[in-house]
Amino acid sequence: MINVVRYHLVQPVLFVTLPLAMLAFLFAVNAARGGDTWRDGLAVIFLYFFIMGVQRVGGRWLPFGLALGASRRSFYAGTVLLGVSMSFVYGLVIAGLQAIERATGGWGLSITFFRVPYLLDGPWYATWLTSFVVLSALFVYGMWYGIVNRRWGMLGLLAFVAVQVPAGIAVAFARTWSGVGGPHPSLSALGLTGVIAALTVVILAGGHTTIRRATV
Amino acid sequence: MPEMAGLDEGGPLFAQVAERLAGEIAAGGLAEGERVPSTNELAAFYRINPATAAKGINVLADEGLLEKHRGIGMFVATGARATLLARRRAEFTERYVQPLLIEATRLGIDPDELIALIRESSSERGGVAV
Amino acid sequence: MTPAISVTGLTRRYYDEVALDDVSLTVGAGTITGLLGRNGAGKTTLLRILAGQEFPSSGSVRVFGAAPAENEDVLRRLVLVREDQVYPDFKVCHALRAASFCYPNWDAGLAASLLKDYGVRPGKAIKGLSRGQRSALGITIGLAARAEVTLFDEPYAGLDAVARQVFYDRLLADFAAFPRTVLLSTHLIDEAAALFENVVVIDRGRVALDATADGLRGMATTVSGPVLAVDSFTAGRPVWERRGLGSQASVVMVGQVSGEDRERARSLGLDLTPLSLQQLVVRASGRSAGSDSLTERTWV
Repeated sequence: MINVVRYHLVQPVLFVTLPLAMLAFLFAVNAARGGDTWRDGLAVIFLYFFIMGVQRVGGRWLPFGLALGASRRSFYAGTVLLGVSMSFVYGLVIAGLQAIERATGGWGLSITFFRVPYLLDGPWYATWLTSFVVLSALFVYGMWYGIVNRRWGMLGLLAFVAVQVPAGIAVAFARTWSGVGGPHPSLSALGLTGVIAALTVVILAGGHTTIRRATV
Repeated sequence: MPEMAGLDEGGPLFAQVAERLAGEIAAGGLAEGERVPSTNELAAFYRINPATAAKGINVLADEGLLEKHRGIGMFVATGARATLLARRRAEFTERYVQPLLIEATRLGIDPDELIALIRESSSERGGVAV
Repeated sequence: MTPAISVTGLTRRYYDEVALDDVSLTVGAGTITGLLGRNGAGKTTLLRILAGQEFPSSGSVRVFGAAPAENEDVLRRLVLVREDQVYPDFKVCHALRAASFCYPNWDAGLAASLLKDYGVRPGKAIKGLSRGQRSALGITIGLAARAEVTLFDEPYAGLDAVARQVFYDRLLADFAAFPRTVLLSTHLIDEAAALFENVVVIDRGRVALDATADGLRGMATTVSGPVLAVDSFTAGRPVWERRGLGSQASVVMVGQVSGEDRERARSLGLDLTPLSLQQLVVRASGRSAGSDSLTERTWV
């Protein structure tokens, strides 16, 4: 499994340089726009983690990984470990930058790039935890999409999404939600984090089961 | 097909390898007590599988023509050349003399004429060459 | 001694076809075996199953005595070089680096030397490699891994005859220095024939022939020349094929040709040409499993 992690890191650019560059770029854009709160800026990073998850398993990483002798389960575990570690680090980065943002009054420009109302608005450790959990969840969720695509192609993906739609609708009904940052009537940010963490476990189990018969 | 330095598809490669080595010994190219090329050397030379080369060597070793010196390699056994030459002499009549006679008869050349032809050719060649 | 590879009753079914049908074979450790057959015969499927990249529908597959699928202990000692290997957005050197920590016997020096022989620069992106260069990369990884079981699936796409010969020579040289079990699938049989100790022919998902290469050599010979002479020479001997044109005839005769046979043929003015391994394999591919099948036992 460790070899899988090392394999993913043979070219660290995609993990280190690129996300940081994206972050910097988005921040610069936000700064240029003035003191608005631009929540979607940070959301891009979260989206990127999802995409990475899809790529690492559904893309060209899995075939060569298997060719080098990794078992599918160990490839899954190693990739998850990688994603979770990255989420841990980036969570810290976000929390850290958020703290600086607060301390400098929005970088002296009243920017609230790193503060997402409700979700990433509390003490630094809460921000860290939430970011960590959400990034991990998205990564692992993306991985599952990658697996589904590999095993069942486009049709499989559609079915996969279709199955989740009812659940999504139920969630939408269950709360009044205005965008990502909308407050939930009865669930605190930390509570939501807990729910997402539980979902992540479900996704992990699902992904681990479905990768076992994937062929390249 | 890559040049297998003269080996062909006419029969098992290991047998051809053995035959060539035997030929070398008989002709004196490989002297008694001299080291025979190793399996890997033969394999590289003929561009064949080392196991095939090894089999060829073993054929000769089984016939007592080669002997193994532990840790060093295969060597031509004493008396190997004599054995091979004797064998070839025995085969000579069957392989060369008889077909010669058959062909001669077909062409209407009687034995005396045949002997005269042989003498003539021999002196033309200036004696026996190896 | 446990064979390196042992396959029993292996069947692989897809929705609409049977890729492998009750295949059984063993491959001894330290041998080079040719896996031969037409395109689509099932060679690739077999190799992928051996490498754990595909799963059998039924039957048993054992490498080093254990099933290879999802088994890292086996897979670490095995390498499969595929013609259509997919790589991530790597440069050549990245692929080699990844291989270096996955294969315990990896030889970086050999890898560098092979890349040099093929003129592939380590700093080049794999995406930008030509077909031949990609094949060269695959061959490099396959040989430098020094895996105990090395599987090649037609690894020479895009390589010209000279480059292929480099492959055969390098394979033979490294095999001689570091023996391992090699299974090489190819349809360019005569080129590689001298490498093989054993030969397995797959035809339409079944094993059509499983014999030693030397056992097959010389098994059949084309006898050609004047009709009467040909008939006289081949009288009483089993024959596969007969063609005639005017006063000339050409017959494929079965059975080893002795020294006396050769002399006789010469005296009769006949030409003897042994069937190459490729021709024998083509013949075996034409008929799988039947009373006519080319088994060593029957003819030699």
